[in-house]
Amino acid sequence: MREQLTELLEQGRSALMNADSAEALQQARVALLGKKGSMTGIMKGMGRMTAEERPVIGALANRIKEELETLFEERAAFIEEQELQRRLATERIDVTLPGRTRFSGSRHPVTLVTEEICDIFASLGFGVEEGPEVEQDFYNFEALNMPKDHPARDMQDTFYINDDVVLRTHTSPVQIRAMLKHAPPVRVIAPGTVYRRDSDITHSPMFHQIEGFLVDRHISFGDLKGILTTFITQYFGKNVGVRFRPSFFPFTEPSAEVDIQCVICGGGGCRVCKKSGWLEILGSGMIDPEVFRSVNYDSEKYSGFAFGMGIERIAMLKYGVNDLRLFFENDVRFLQQF
Amino acid sequence: MIVSYNWLKEFVDFDLTPEELAHRLTMAGLEVDAIELLGYGLDSVVVGRLDSVEPHPDAERLTVCQVTTGGETVPVVCGATNHKVGDLVALAKVGTRLPGDCSIKRSKIRGQVSMGMLCSKTELGLAETSEGILILPPGYPLGEPVFDVLGLKDARLEIGLTPNRPDCLSLVGVAREIAAMVNRSLSLQYATPKETGLPCGDSVSIAIEDQDLCPRYAARLIRGVTIGSSPEWLVNKLEAIGLRSINNVVDVTNLVLMELGHPLHAFDYDQLRGGRVVIKRAGEGESFTTLDGQVRTLRSEDLVICDGEGPVALAGIMGGENSEVGPDTRQVLLESAYFNPVTVRRTSKRLGMHTEASHRFERGADVNMVPIALDRAATLIMEVAGGSLAQGMIDCYPQPVAERRISLKFSRVNEVLGLNLTGVEICSLLQSIDLLVQLAENNHSVSVRVPTFRPDLEREIDLIEEVARLHGYDKIPVTMPTSEMICHRPEPAQRYARQIRNTMIAGGFSEIINYSFIASDGDSLLLDADDRRRCSVRILNPLTEEQSVMRTNLVSSMLETVARNRAYRSTDLRLFELRPVFQPQDGELLPRESLRLCAAISGRREPLGWAQAEASADFYDLKGQLESLLAGLQLRSITWDASSSDSFYHPGKSCTVGSASDRFGTLGEVHPKVLKNFSIDQPVYIMDLDLEAVFSATGSGRPFQAISRFPDICRDSALLVDDQVDAARVLSVIEEVRGATVEDYTLFDLYRGAGIPQGKKSLAIRVRYRSAEKTLTDEEISTAHERIVAALRKRVGAEIR
Repeated sequence: MREQLTELLEQGRSALMNADSAEALQQARVALLGKKGSMTGIMKGMGRMTAEERPVIGALANRIKEELETLFEERAAFIEEQELQRRLATERIDVTLPGRTRFSGSRHPVTLVTEEICDIFASLGFGVEEGPEVEQDFYNFEALNMPKDHPARDMQDTFYINDDVVLRTHTSPVQIRAMLKHAPPVRVIAPGTVYRRDSDITHSPMFHQIEGFLVDRHISFGDLKGILTTFITQYFGKNVGVRFRPSFFPFTEPSAEVDIQCVICGGGGCRVCKKSGWLEILGSGMIDPEVFRSVNYDSEKYSGFAFGMGIERIAMLKYGVNDLRLFFENDVRFLQQF
Repeated sequence: MIVSYNWLKEFVDFDLTPEELAHRLTMAGLEVDAIELLGYGLDSVVVGRLDSVEPHPDAERLTVCQVTTGGETVPVVCGATNHKVGDLVALAKVGTRLPGDCSIKRSKIRGQVSMGMLCSKTELGLAETSEGILILPPGYPLGEPVFDVLGLKDARLEIGLTPNRPDCLSLVGVAREIAAMVNRSLSLQYATPKETGLPCGDSVSIAIEDQDLCPRYAARLIRGVTIGSSPEWLVNKLEAIGLRSINNVVDVTNLVLMELGHPLHAFDYDQLRGGRVVIKRAGEGESFTTLDGQVRTLRSEDLVICDGEGPVALAGIMGGENSEVGPDTRQVLLESAYFNPVTVRRTSKRLGMHTEASHRFERGADVNMVPIALDRAATLIMEVAGGSLAQGMIDCYPQPVAERRISLKFSRVNEVLGLNLTGVEICSLLQSIDLLVQLAENNHSVSVRVPTFRPDLEREIDLIEEVARLHGYDKIPVTMPTSEMICHRPEPAQRYARQIRNTMIAGGFSEIINYSFIASDGDSLLLDADDRRRCSVRILNPLTEEQSVMRTNLVSSMLETVARNRAYRSTDLRLFELRPVFQPQDGELLPRESLRLCAAISGRREPLGWAQAEASADFYDLKGQLESLLAGLQLRSITWDASSSDSFYHPGKSCTVGSASDRFGTLGEVHPKVLKNFSIDQPVYIMDLDLEAVFSATGSGRPFQAISRFPDICRDSALLVDDQVDAARVLSVIEEVRGATVEDYTLFDLYRGAGIPQGKKSLAIRVRYRSAEKTLTDEEISTAHERIVAALRKRVGAEIR
């Protein structure tokens, strides 16, 4: 029996190693170790063994069985790996076929720029306020130190609803509404739609602005420069030059236009910057005491600054859009570029 | 305002190039919009003398000239015919680049060497048209640059002035700014004119009836003038700042206007009836012809200058045709006055007459400039048009205007600007623009006397701005505010709006922004006659009828956008607009502005592709988008009511969307008639939501629900129901009878057609069962499912297939 078992091991080894598929391997295993397999056949002779021989042969049979099982496992793993490799070597898809797509949406560039700018100011502690687009003359003009018959009203051609109601010509009335609502300190950014009675390649009768202002004790023109310079470097990049130059707005004094170095030519002079190397992007100034008076702020105690900018202009500069009308034609070929 | 570089130099000595000057002015608040250079870079165009002029041997129309510039003589081929030997000409030497990018090179013209060009005025940029080459008067030094010897080298600076600076609407005003920046003084001295004629008062009397509108009116009479063309110096001077010469007298008034900024008017004295001038309000409805030939209807708020019988000028705006200076004028009555800015502004605005004079008066002229400008003009008129000046100036100035005094605290200057200037520094800045300062006894403040040419300086803050401007904004240090912390979290509505935008964009929709004003039209949306959206806020002065009312809905602009994109051959459209609409409110000054969302879908469901469905998008694509939008706002239990929607929808394919208590808006396929009204050739699905209603209904997040560790089991059933039974009815039955073991259920198939009787449809539902406590047995599930099926049989007449 000992010889039979030893021979079985040899036979089994070669049978398992010669099996070249999962099925053949399984068959070989059954033939060797199955209920009707060789091992079972040999073990039937155990009855004839003496009591001394029996445990010895039994142990040997178990060892051989284990060995064969191990061989089987190894061979099975090998064949599985081989079959996997074979399958992987033949299977293939055309990865260059386009993927299943969905329609992709887009933010209007005006919204895009508005959100970016609001986010920068939000991180500087400014809260967003909004106001009506159809606005009282009082908020749009009078409270902003532009009484009726003031020549400064010529700076903004106005759509009228009646003598006392206009389509707001700027977002500055939100300043008045916000200051009437909150006592200082206030820090507000107010994006919105504005209207001016003007329409050509560079003027749209409807466009968008962002207004911002800050009022507290001891706010100086230097602080205005600080906040706006921070905004500009955040939005246009650290290396862009900034300059502040005197200007006039009825609701600020001193007033400043803020120019950045031309983003198109880098300051060398081109058509976009009218060869000056500078682009006007912001109007700003220290809030005029008259404005404080109309909202009952004490201008001896508080000071502040305000600024405003045109969204479309900034979008045009940032994305190189050359025609203002594109913003309101809503051609999907334009919209989907943003 | 256009200024000439050379002319400015007559008033102040400065050493800046035109470009440097432009930069400095811009940085001082006088923004230079454009610089036009004349004669710069043209030093190689020199005075030459024609030593010989011979016909070109091979070209009939050309001549070969020998031109000497003193040192050398060069041959030049010339095509002009107005030159002869001995003439002085402008020779552009080889290497010159003339305006218009024309480079002069050594060349051969039909075999003859030509080493330069004899220039015309046009070629030098001195005139728009000219005939022949420029022949210079004799006596100019050979070889010298032509622009230098003619004194024509100049730069024209176009300044975009802000409305607060009427003082800079003159060369003297701009020169004063330059004087301040280069630390020099302004030279402005005019001699008093010689009076040789009979007294002025003998011929004319002046009365101001409305002193509030005309605080000062002065006049001088010049007898025996000859109207004619102006001398060259005057023509050149006006041209230098872009003005055209008209006649000698008018040119003088224009010159003084530009030089001193004070508008003057010259009357033909002989046309003034009654030798009288009265300044008064016009008669209501009176008509008057201004010198541009237009008949104007006046109102009693208008100020006019009248003679003995009626109006001869609209005060501060324009003269009348009846008293205009013309070729036959012999006696000129010259007016110099100060008019109330508001009156001039109202009248000029109402009549749409914006003139150089009205521009200055409405911004504020200088009352003290009245006699100076008058004398200056009288002197010049006699110089260029002859005549003798009547003795005496009539100057009606009943209540002289006192100069303003403003007190300025030094500490305030430094606080507002964030600077650290001394009192001495502040004073010297203010003095540089001719303000008079007087230090207070305590040395902490100063009293400033403001001359009348600066009407904009009224308050302390105005002076602080001057200090900042003159010191230089760029020298103010950049600081950050030290301010109290305030929490400024966006309002819920702002957060929701952003979220909705994000959801729509993620769903493949592109955001559009349309004009808020549209044509007044409710018909194209088939709105009922009494629909409140037909009542809109109307603009009094629209640019066009197409933009005349504020929109009360976003739908019509949306459909226009769809139509426009279809016209551009874009087929697959997913668009949304999130903007306010405007509804008038009874008894309120302002309309109600409420935020709405309108979205449209049209064309394919998925982009064209090899593995994509070919189907067109439909109602359910848009509904699904709306469902995820509402779910994102924690809005569940939405009702879809097909019994009502809106006039612009297909009545059978639309619904109202809401909750048990609120109406959010509508959703549906656009009515075929409406599509036709907008010329749209493919189905469009629209949703139209009132976001205020949506925002106010938003829920808070639901509390966490524990996740079961036990397996789920699904049961599917196909139900045969009447076609009229809405899915919502079926689903609500399941919802009602579901037991604790139903985790969720889905309607996953809808079928009509072969195998299904007419008037019926098959709905397939899948119910998922799961318990939180144990693995459910088959029996438990069957019992639960049978309860649902039984309810469906009973309640909606479902048969199980």
